[in-house]
Amino acid sequence: MGKEELDLLSVKVKLFAYTRELIGKDEIRLKLAGQTTVGDLRKMILEMYPALSTKTFVIAVNHKVADDSTKISDVDEVAILPPVSGG
Amino acid sequence: MITITRDPIDLCNIMVAAKDRSAGGAVLFIGSVRDHNEKGVVSEIHYEAYKEMAEEKMAEIEKEVKERWRIKKFIAIHRIGNLKVGEPSVAVIVSAEHRQEAFEACKYGIDQIKTRVPIWKKEVSESGVTWVKGVSLKK
Repeated sequence: MGKEELDLLSVKVKLFAYTRELIGKDEIRLKLAGQTTVGDLRKMILEMYPALSTKTFVIAVNHKVADDSTKISDVDEVAILPPVSGG
Repeated sequence: MITITRDPIDLCNIMVAAKDRSAGGAVLFIGSVRDHNEKGVVSEIHYEAYKEMAEEKMAEIEKEVKERWRIKKFIAIHRIGNLKVGEPSVAVIVSAEHRQEAFEACKYGIDQIKTRVPIWKKEVSESGVTWVKGVSLKK
C-alpha cells in the first residue's frame, strides 16, 4: 500500500432536501486525500454530481457552517445544506 | 425548552408548560400550513430537518433569548414530516413578567428559527411538488 493510499480519508457526507433528491441518497462516503479542505470537498462533489452545480448550498462540518479553508478529518461529520425554509 | 418532533404539536400542553407564577403574560406564535402559495392551492407540506444540528441551533437561540430578555419560560417546537393544511408546523411561546419582553423575545425566537435552523419544506401544490426557496445559512 503506497503512502498516498494510507493517507486517504473516508468521510461521511450527509445530504438534505434537494441535494438528497438530486443525488438519490441520504449520505455518501468520499475518499479524500489527507489535508483536505471544505473547498476541495466542494470541488469533488461538483465533479461527481454536476447537477448540483446550479444549486445553492453551504457545507457544515460538525454542525457548523464552514468556509472553504476549513480542514476535514475522517472523524468529522460533514453535511451539505441547501438554503433553509423552516417555520 | 426546544423540541423537534414528528408528533403533532400539542398547543394546550405548551401553554401549560409556559405558565409561571411570576409571569404576568405569555406570547404564543403558531406557524401553520397555509392552503396556498403564489402558484395556487397547497395541499400539504413535507418538512425535513438535520435534526442534530437543528436542535443545537434552536438551543443556541433559546440561550440568546434568555441573555437578551428577562423572561420566565421559552418553549420552541418544530414539527417535521408530512403536514396537512392547517396543522401547526412550529410554535414558540415565551412567558415573562411584562408583555413587552414576551412579545420581543417571541418575535426574535421565531425570526431566528426561520433563518438559522437547518429545516426545509417541500410544498405539494396544484402545480407540482417544489422545495420552498430559503435562506442560505451563515457562519
